[in-house]
Amino acid sequence: MAKTSAVKTKKRDINRIAYLFVLPFIIVFLVFSVYPVLRTFYLSFMNYKGYGDPTWAGLDNYVRVVKDKFFWRDLLNTIKIWGVNIILQLGLAFLLTVIFSDIKYKIRGLAVFRAVYYLPNLIAATSVAFLFKTLLDWKYGSFNQILMGLGITQQQVNWLGSTATAPYVISVLGAWMWFGNSFIMLMAGVQGIPKDYFEAAAIDGAGRWKVFAKITLPLLRPIMLYVFVTSLIGGLQLFDLPFLMNGAAPGTAGEPAGSLQTVVMYLYKFGFETHQVGYASAIAYTLFFIILIVSIIQFKTIGKEED
Amino acid sequence: MKLRKLMAIMLAGTMVFGLTACGGSGSGSSSGSNSNADSGSASSEAAAGDEGASDDESASGDTASAAGEKLVVWTLAKDLETFAEHYMESHPDVAIETVVIEPANYVTKVQTALNGGQKEPDIIVGEPQMLEDFYDAGYFEDLNQAPYNAQDYADQIVDYVWEVGQDADGIQRAISYQITPAGIYYRRDIAQEVFGTEDPDEIGKLFADYPTILDTAQKLKSKGYRIFASDAEISYFSGDSAWVIDGVLNVDQGRYDYQDLCVSLYQDDLTAYANQWSTPWYQAMAGEVPILSADIQNYADDSVNVWDAEQFAEATEGMDKTEVFAFGLPSWGVLTMRDNVQDTSGKWGVCAGPAYGFGGGTFIGISSQSERKDLAWDFLKFCTLDEETSNWWIEVSEGDTVSLIPVLEAHAEDPNSVYGGQQLYKFWLEQAKGIDYSKVTRYDKAIGDAWASATTSIKTGEKTKEEALAEFYDVIESTYPEITVNR
Repeated sequence: MAKTSAVKTKKRDINRIAYLFVLPFIIVFLVFSVYPVLRTFYLSFMNYKGYGDPTWAGLDNYVRVVKDKFFWRDLLNTIKIWGVNIILQLGLAFLLTVIFSDIKYKIRGLAVFRAVYYLPNLIAATSVAFLFKTLLDWKYGSFNQILMGLGITQQQVNWLGSTATAPYVISVLGAWMWFGNSFIMLMAGVQGIPKDYFEAAAIDGAGRWKVFAKITLPLLRPIMLYVFVTSLIGGLQLFDLPFLMNGAAPGTAGEPAGSLQTVVMYLYKFGFETHQVGYASAIAYTLFFIILIVSIIQFKTIGKEED
Repeated sequence: MKLRKLMAIMLAGTMVFGLTACGGSGSGSSSGSNSNADSGSASSEAAAGDEGASDDESASGDTASAAGEKLVVWTLAKDLETFAEHYMESHPDVAIETVVIEPANYVTKVQTALNGGQKEPDIIVGEPQMLEDFYDAGYFEDLNQAPYNAQDYADQIVDYVWEVGQDADGIQRAISYQITPAGIYYRRDIAQEVFGTEDPDEIGKLFADYPTILDTAQKLKSKGYRIFASDAEISYFSGDSAWVIDGVLNVDQGRYDYQDLCVSLYQDDLTAYANQWSTPWYQAMAGEVPILSADIQNYADDSVNVWDAEQFAEATEGMDKTEVFAFGLPSWGVLTMRDNVQDTSGKWGVCAGPAYGFGGGTFIGISSQSERKDLAWDFLKFCTLDEETSNWWIEVSEGDTVSLIPVLEAHAEDPNSVYGGQQLYKFWLEQAKGIDYSKVTRYDKAIGDAWASATTSIKTGEKTKEEALAEFYDVIESTYPEITVNR
C-alpha cells in the first residue's frame, strides 16, 4: 500500500515538473500575447493619448470606425490586394499539387521542389520589399529594362507609382512569397488521401480530369479551407510590404493616391502618428470582428457543402 | 546518469550565459550609440578616484551614478551630442550618454519609457509641435520651482522661444539654445542684374505678398532665371493664424493665398521643379541646375533620379539650365547653405519674407522622473543659458543662431562672408521679435500634411480645387473628430 502511494507521489512529481517545462512558454505567452490582446480590447472603449489615464469612451470609437470612410476605403484596398493574391497563390499551389500528385507523371525529387518553392517564405519581408523596389524601379529597374529589351513594352511602366499597378504588384509578391507554403499544405492533403481511391478509379477507367474533380478536389476541401482562412487572416492584416515599398515616411505612406493604404497602415497612423490609441485599438478589434465573421461564414458554407 | 547530469548542467549554463549576454548587449547598445558615453564613463571613473573616495571600489559606475555623475540625454539631432562632449571637457567627472532618435519614433519612445516609470532619460527634448502633448503628459519638470527658478532668466532668452517652452499654465518646462526665424535667402548678383539693387530691404519688398511674389517670379523667368527651386519655399511664412482655434478648423485667407501661389508657381513654370531636400534643390544653391519637368517633380516621371547626384547629372545632361534666385528657410538654413553654396559663396543675401515665420527648434527639458535633476539642470543651463557655451556654439556650428539675447547682441555686427558680409544675427533677432507663437498647435503636422497633399493634387490637375478641399476636410474630420469642420 505504502509502495503504491510512493509511486503515485513520484508520478505527481513528474507531472509537476512538466508544468515547470512549459512555464517559460506560458509566461511569454501571457505577457506578450494575452495581455496585449486584453489591453487592446480595454483601450478600444477608452480615449487614450498614450499618456495619462485613459477616459471612458464607451462605443464611441467603434461608432467612429463604422462612420470613417477612410477605414472602409482602406479595407477595400486590403481586400483588393488580398483577393488577387489568394487567386494567384492558391491557383499556382493547386496547379503544382495536381502535377506532383499525378500518379502517371511520377515526378521525382518532391522534397527538393518543396524546399525551393518554400524558400521565398524564408526571406524577411523587409528584404523582399527592398529587393523588388529596386527591381521594379521605373528608370533603373531590371524588370522594365528586360521588358523593353524584349520589345514587350515601348515605355517604362511605373509599377509602384501608378494606382493601376501598385496594389497588384503587392498581390503578386505576396503570392510569390506564400505559394510554397500553400503547396506544402495541399501536398500534405493529397498524400493523406488513401491511394486505393486513385487505383480504384484507374481500374474503373476514370480519366485524369474525372479523378481530379471527383476524388482529389472534394477530399482536399478541408485543407483548402484551412489555407484560405489562414491566408485571409494574414491578408487582411497586410502591412509590411505596402508600408515598406511605398515610402514608409509618415504622410506619404499609402501613395499613390492612397491605393496602397491598408487597414493596418491606417491603424498605425492613429496608434503611432497622431497618438489616438483608443481609436487605433477599436480599428484593430473591428478588423478582428470582420475576420472572425468572414471566417465563420467560410466554415459554415464550405462545411455545409461537404455534408 | 552522469552524462545526463553533465548535459543538464551544460544546458542550464548555456541558458544563463544567453540571458547575461542579452543583458550585456542591452546596456552595450545604448552606450554604444555614442562614443562619448564610453570615453565619458572612463573619465568619470578616473575622476571619482582622484576625489579620494575612501575605498577604491566606490569609484565604480554604481557610486558614480548614485552620486549623479551620469546623465542620459535622448535627443532628436546631433547638436546635443556636441554640447555633451563640450560639457564633459569642463566636467570630467560627468559621463553623458547621448542617444539620437529619429523624429518619427521619438514621441513613441519617450512615451513608452516615461509611462513605464523609467528614471532615464534625464534630459528629453521636443520640437514645437511635440511639446503640447509632452506638457500635458507631465513629462517635463517644472522649471519655475526651486532650485531651478527659471523665471529669473526670462529676459535673457528671445521671447518667442521662452514662450514655446511654457505649458498652458505659463510654467516653464523647456528651453531652447537656438532661435529659428525664417527668411528669404537670395542671390545678390541676380538681384543686381534683374532688379538693379541687392539691398535686403529693397529685395524684401519683392516678397512682400503673394501677388508681388508672382510678379517677381515672372520678371526673373523673363531673364532666364527661376525664382525658387521648389514651389514650397514660402511654406514657413504661410498662414496668418492657427490651424485650429477653439476646436474649430481655421483655414484663413493666407492659407488659400499660399495654395494659389504654389499652384501658379507650378503651373506657370516659374520654378526649377526641384523638390525640397532633393539633389537638384541643393545643387541650385551652388549655381546652374537643369529645369526639370512638372512630371519629374511629381514623381509621375521617374526618368530622372533626383536622389542620386551621379544618375541625376547623367539623366539631365541635355536639359535646359537655369539659376535659382531664392530659397525660403529658417535661420538654420545658414548651415545648409554653408555646406552647399560652393562657388556662389559671398553672393548671397537674406531678407524678410511675406510674413514672420519660424521652423523647428530643439527644446530641452528635464524628465520629471529623473533622479539626477540637479545635474540635468546644470547641463540644461550649460546648453541654453551660458554665454560662453553660446559663443562656443556659434563658432563650432559656423553660424547657428542662438537664443541667448546678450550673445546675439554681442554678435549682432558679425559679418557673414557667405552673405557678402551681411550682419545676419541682427536680422534674425529682428525677425524673431515678430514671431507669433500662438499659431502653433499640436495638430499642425497632420493638418499641414493634408493641406500640402491637397495643394499637390490641385497643382498637378489630379483633382479640382473643390474635390481637393472636400478630401482635405474629410481627412481632418476622420483624423480629429474633436475638431469642428465648417466647410
